[in-house]
Amino acid sequence: MFQLVDRPIDLAALDRAVRDAKAGAIVTFVGTTRNENAGRHVRRLEYEAFAPMAAKEMRSLAAQAKRRWGLRKVAMAHRTGVVPVGEASVAIAVSAGHRREAFEACHWLIDRLKEIVPIWKKEHYRGGEMWIGAQQGGPPARRGR
Amino acid sequence: MRVRLRFFAMLREKLGSEAECQVRAGATVAAVWRGFVAEHPEVARVQVRFAVDEAYVEPAHRLADGDEVAVFPPVSGGTGDAMAASVACGRPPAFAAGGGLA
Repeated sequence: MFQLVDRPIDLAALDRAVRDAKAGAIVTFVGTTRNENAGRHVRRLEYEAFAPMAAKEMRSLAAQAKRRWGLRKVAMAHRTGVVPVGEASVAIAVSAGHRREAFEACHWLIDRLKEIVPIWKKEHYRGGEMWIGAQQGGPPARRGR
Repeated sequence: MRVRLRFFAMLREKLGSEAECQVRAGATVAAVWRGFVAEHPEVARVQVRFAVDEAYVEPAHRLADGDEVAVFPPVSGGTGDAMAASVACGRPPAFAAGGGLA
């Protein structure tokens, strides 16, 4: 299951998609929209995807992870459009024989997804908005955390 | 030959969804983008990556007539840092040195 959806991500469906009789572990990562970034109060977020390529890249990452960690199944979903604060914007589920591979693969998948899958995030604030990601290579941003 | 550029996110907001370019036969992605940027200096310093047929390509990739090049600004990355697109005016991306985008 590899989905771009413009409504809430169905986490139960994601879990079902990776159930496997040979799996001893399922690790799920859910990325949620946060109400602050770099000291700014975020009111809502918006995601834009190059949908056909994003789906293709997600499938390709899943195939790589399956080979590398010998996973049973992988499922991924990403929201597009406006996502209210506190909701899931991205979710990844991985099943494997044992927990170690499942944890490692899930961690790798979310990192790679954010690096290469063509999906962009825009944060809306009171009185402004900005695309996130544009900071790379620029002068240091206001630091979060 | 003619190629089409497609834009996303902050580039789409600045440039519209797409543009058509008349370029010399066998032009590279880098050359096409350099030519486009010469006429749209407002995006000259945006870090970009390119895709053709829904797959990433290097700036040195040679285009064929009718190709569509997707031009991507940086994806969200998830570094925890944020900066306004309007101030994304740092150094050009690493590959620009070889690709001649600067």
